[in-house]
Amino acid sequence: MSRWKKIGACAFIAAWACCMGAGIVGHALRVGICGNTLSYFVVWDMFCGWSAWDQETHIIAEGSSGKYYEVKEPWGEFRPFGHRGRIQYDHTNHMLSRHVENILSHTDHERIDRVFIVQEVWPKQYNLPPKLYSEYFEQEQDKVSYFNLRAVCAANGQPVQSYQDWFARQRMASTFDNPRIRQQASSSTSMYNTFFNPRTQNESAIGLSTN
Amino acid sequence: MKKTPQSNLLNDFFFREETPFGLALARIVVPLAVSVPMWFRLPRVRELFTSDGTPTQLFELFGNGNVLPVFSPAIAVPLYGVMLLCLLFASMGFRTRLSFLIATPLYVYFNLLDAIGTMTKYSVIGTHLLILLTVSQSGMIWSVDAILNRRKNVLPQPPPKTAVWAARLIQLLFCFVYFGAAVTKIQTAEFFTGEQMRYWMLSNWNYNNPVGEQMALWSWILPVSAYCAVVWEMLFAFLVFQKRTRVLMIGLGVMFHFMTWVTLGLYIFPTICISGYLAFITEEDFIRIRSTLRRWRATQPVARLTAAAGAQFEKTVAGIPSWSPALVTWGLLLAVASVAMTEGERLFNIYGVSASGKMRLTEMDTERASHMINGAAEVREKDKFFSFDIGTVMIGNQLANRRTEFTYGELMIAQCNLNPPHEDMVVECVLMDTEDHVIEHSTEIVTRDMLRYNFVYTIGSNLLPGQYQMILRSGRNEVYRRGFRVTGTPPDLILKEGVLTN
Repeated sequence: MSRWKKIGACAFIAAWACCMGAGIVGHALRVGICGNTLSYFVVWDMFCGWSAWDQETHIIAEGSSGKYYEVKEPWGEFRPFGHRGRIQYDHTNHMLSRHVENILSHTDHERIDRVFIVQEVWPKQYNLPPKLYSEYFEQEQDKVSYFNLRAVCAANGQPVQSYQDWFARQRMASTFDNPRIRQQASSSTSMYNTFFNPRTQNESAIGLSTN
Repeated sequence: MKKTPQSNLLNDFFFREETPFGLALARIVVPLAVSVPMWFRLPRVRELFTSDGTPTQLFELFGNGNVLPVFSPAIAVPLYGVMLLCLLFASMGFRTRLSFLIATPLYVYFNLLDAIGTMTKYSVIGTHLLILLTVSQSGMIWSVDAILNRRKNVLPQPPPKTAVWAARLIQLLFCFVYFGAAVTKIQTAEFFTGEQMRYWMLSNWNYNNPVGEQMALWSWILPVSAYCAVVWEMLFAFLVFQKRTRVLMIGLGVMFHFMTWVTLGLYIFPTICISGYLAFITEEDFIRIRSTLRRWRATQPVARLTAAAGAQFEKTVAGIPSWSPALVTWGLLLAVASVAMTEGERLFNIYGVSASGKMRLTEMDTERASHMINGAAEVREKDKFFSFDIGTVMIGNQLANRRTEFTYGELMIAQCNLNPPHEDMVVECVLMDTEDHVIEHSTEIVTRDMLRYNFVYTIGSNLLPGQYQMILRSGRNEVYRRGFRVTGTPPDLILKEGVLTN
C-alpha cells in the first residue's frame, strides 16, 4: 500500500470513527442531536419508544352533497413495512396534508368541503389472533375502538382546525381531576395551535419512531 | 521514529494484507439485500419520490425544511432505474467502484426523500455498508472486473491481497450499532420489565410475527431476554475481535437477528445485518471453511455446482470480445435501463388515469363516518388493563407461572398489568367462592405512573379445599375473573405463623 493511500485511509478511518463516536456520545448524553438530520445516520435508537395502544389514521372527506368519502388511494395504498398503508407510519403528520391533496387531485369526486382526520385507537391485546386471545384471557375478544378527531382540513389538505392527540387527551383527563392544575392549565392555554409541531423532534431529543 | 507495540498492533489491525474473501462476499450480498426494499418500491416511484407524489424528506421531520431537490418523474424515474442497476452491477463486480459511487448517493437520496415509508435504521446501516464497500477493494476477486483483469495476464496470478481496513470498518460498524442500541435500551426502563417488547410484539407495524404474539404472553421470558440482549450488545465490541470468542459473538448476533425476524416481523433489517456479517470472514476463516466443506461428502454436490457456475460465469465474461470496452458496455446498459424504466413507469400508470377519466373515491356509510368524526367515547375499565393472572413465581417483576391449582402455605400472586395512559385508579381484588360469596377483599390505589400491581395472598386455613375465583374490579366493574382450586389438607390453627390466613 502506498504512503499516500495509507494516509488517505487513516484520515477516512479517523473521520468515520469520530462521527460514529459522536453519535454514541450524543445519544447517550442526549446532546447535539436535536434538529440535526445527519445525526439520524449515527444514532442507533431502534425501538426507542412504545405504546400500549395501537392506532390508525382515517381520512374522511365530506362532499358538498353531505356524502362522506374515504380518502384512500383507489389505486391501492403502498404498504412499506408490512400490512399497513404508508400514511399510518406518518406519526408526526408531516405528510398528511400532501397525502390528502395528492389523493383528491388524482381522483374523481364531487366538490369536497372538508376533510376530517380521525385517529382510531385500541388496546394492543386485541391484535392477538382470536384463538390465542381466548386461550390466554379466557374471555371473548370484544374489541372496541376509540375515535378521536385530530384535525379538519380544507380540500387542499391544509389544516383548518386541529385537536389534541388521543394520548394527550387521556393524559390531560387523568390530571384534570386536580382543580389546581385545571386552573393553571386554563390560564396558560395557547391561542395558537399547530397540527404538527416541528419542534417535537428537538424537544424529545430521542429518535424518530421510524426504526 | 521507533514504532511502539501499540502502533504495531493498530497497524496490523487495519493494514494487514489479506485476500478479501469476506469483503467480496459482502459486496455480492449487501447490494442485493439493500435493493430488495427498493425493488418493492419500483412501481411506486412516482408516488413516493417525485414532485407528482408525496415525498416527505427526513430533513422536514427534523425541522430543517426541504433541503433536497424533488425532481419530476421524468428525471426521478430513470435515476431510480440507474440506482437499481448500479446496485446489481456492484454485486456482480462490474465496474465495481463506479457502480458503488453512483448507487450509494442515489440510495441515500431516495431514502432521505421518503422518511415516512422508506427511510429506516436498516437504510442507515445499508448506507454505511455501501459507503464502506465503495472505498474498499471488494471487487478485487469474484467479480466481472477480476475476470476482465485476468484476461490481460498471460500467466496465472496468485489471489490478490489488500489491506483489511475497509472490512475492519464494517466490523466496527456493527460494534457501534450494537453499543448504541444497548444505550437506547438502558435509557428505557420498561425494556427491562418486559412491557416495551411485549407491546412491540403485539404491534402490527411490521410483517407477520406469530411467534412474537405467543412470546408476548410469556411475560417472564421478556425481562430475561432483555438482559441477555443488552449484555451481548455491550460485549460485542470487546469480544468479537478476540480469537476465542468471535464465533460465539457472531453466532449470538445471527441468533439475535433471527429472533427479531420471528418475534417482531422484521425481514429486511436482519437480512442487511447478516449480509454485513460476511465482512467478518477472514482469509484464514475462508480457507478453513472451504477445506471443511470439501471434506464433507454432503456438501460436495453443492461445491461442484458452485464451481461449475463460477467457471461458466468466467467463461461467459471472458468470451466478451476485447474490442468491446467494459465501460462502454456498462454505460450502454445503464442508458437502456433508464429508458426502459421511464417507459415502464409510464405504462404502469400508477394513478390509474384512463380515457374514461380518473378513479373514483369510495363513498362511506354516513352513520359510520359520523360515528368516527364525533366519537369521543370514554375508555372502558377493561381496556385500561392488559391482563390479570394468578401464580406463585415472579421473574423481573413479571408473573412467571400461571397457576390454576394452589396448596396450603403457598404464596399466591395476583398480578394485574395496566395499559398506560390511565388515570389514578382504585383497583379491587376479590376472592370469592363458586357461589360468588366474598371471602377476601383488597382495595389498592394504582397511580397513573404504575404499569402493574400485585396482590399477594397466602393460601391459609380460612379456605377449605375446593374451587375459588379471583376477581379484578375497577370503577366497580368486573374486569377479569380467574378460577383456581385449593388442594391438600387445611392446616391446624396452631400451625406456624403466616400459614393461617391472608
